[in-house]
Amino acid sequence: LFLSVKCLKKYYYNPAPGPVPKDQVRLYSMRFCPFAQRTSLVLHAKGIKFETINIHLKQKPDWFLEKNPEGLVPLIETPAGEVVNESVITSEFLDEMYPEKKLLPATPFGKAQQKMMLEHFSKITPHLFKISSAKRKGDDVSGLEAELKEKFTNLNEHLVKKKTKFFGGDTVTFIDYMMWPFFERLGMFETNKNCLDHTPELKKWTERMLEDPAVKAIMHSTEDHKTFYNNFLDGKPDFDYGL
Amino acid sequence: AMATEKCFAKGSPAPGPVPKGQLHLYSMRFCPFAQRTRLALNSKGIKYDTININLKEKPEWFLEKNPLGLVPALETSAGEVIYESSITCEYLDEAYPEKKLLPSSPFGKAQQRMLLEHFSKVIPYFYKIPSARRTGEDVSTQEVELKEKFAKLNEHLEKKKTKFFEGDTITMIDYMMWPFFERIEVLELKHCLDHTPELKKWTERMLEDPAVKATMFNMDTHKAFYKSVAEGKPDYDLGL
Repeated sequence: LFLSVKCLKKYYYNPAPGPVPKDQVRLYSMRFCPFAQRTSLVLHAKGIKFETINIHLKQKPDWFLEKNPEGLVPLIETPAGEVVNESVITSEFLDEMYPEKKLLPATPFGKAQQKMMLEHFSKITPHLFKISSAKRKGDDVSGLEAELKEKFTNLNEHLVKKKTKFFGGDTVTFIDYMMWPFFERLGMFETNKNCLDHTPELKKWTERMLEDPAVKAIMHSTEDHKTFYNNFLDGKPDFDYGL
Repeated sequence: AMATEKCFAKGSPAPGPVPKGQLHLYSMRFCPFAQRTRLALNSKGIKYDTININLKEKPEWFLEKNPLGLVPALETSAGEVIYESSITCEYLDEAYPEKKLLPSSPFGKAQQRMLLEHFSKVIPYFYKIPSARRTGEDVSTQEVELKEKFAKLNEHLEKKKTKFFEGDTITMIDYMMWPFFERIEVLELKHCLDHTPELKKWTERMLEDPAVKATMFNMDTHKAFYKSVAEGKPDYDLGL
């Protein structure tokens, strides 16, 4: 079950959590992290039993760094004490560990197609961060926005060609969840409000994703994302914002 | 079967369709990323034809199949195209069950992928440092960083006490890392291995592997190729 607990920090009264109970996995996370959201979406979509421990990313507990020297979230820990990091790696791991409701296709080529789409998408995310950071400084973002528009057009074309509701078919699959957290934050990145206007299929995809139960279970509003992100960029992140 | 290793450039005729049960590998003889795929193909004993591509003058038919125009790329007899070195390697391991290179357990696979992710942060140094040296920049900081990263890899081998990164036989991660270590001497980075004895021994074991032997080039050949690249005229058909 998803528990909205306050994040654990590097304070002496935060002892290391015990081992992960036998019938679940543990997600180390941060409530506003888009990468951790990928793993969380997979956990919800597959109906996996899990508990969440949120981490204060500026004051990481020592026991957390011992489990995972890089100190990043998301992190998955199993009852056997196995630790897996990186959003995509944790997501694949969960899909392979838990056979119900497969999010990746069964065929080698189907899997390869999803991974190629993800590789393409990984070139889009840096643009989003660059645009919001440049806007804050008052720089001209027209070049960046034009590039982003082109990339969104490519995504739109994919949907037009395939004639499917989602990127891997007519049901939500792995790639949709890997992409979603960044689309949830378009308002936060302060991309041009009209950036999806010329990509109607992509816009419809975002509307369909908003109906998905896993997305609905964990999403935040644009306002909450904006508040968190601005505090974060100001150097004063409130990881427990809203609790 | 392809009779030539010479690269195909713009204006060249398209190769025929991929015969049933076979694969086309679009490659470039000296590309370290394409070597990963060649290592997997060789190690698993998969039948394939190589079509080398002139990366400065890519054939139109290649860009039609593979709009990003990158190598390595695989094409199946069903016309399926797979690109990106790590994606091609995982595809091959899943599609061809003999001689698995990835472990069967989800955690075993995750461990391989996490190590690959680590290594992806090492790769840029193999490009940055030689490039900075050519323009006369000071590379001492970057060399220290690379040495630190090699130390971590060395520690991994020390802790596990295995001959290769994830066991006593070669697995996928060893092949994914190898092409860069093959080029370490010609890139003048060999001294960065001075304090990493386990990593050094690993390179010596890798040199004994049949797939490595089948796909590698010696230092002189690598040197000549890098020279041609630095001069702005990469000689993709060097030695042919």
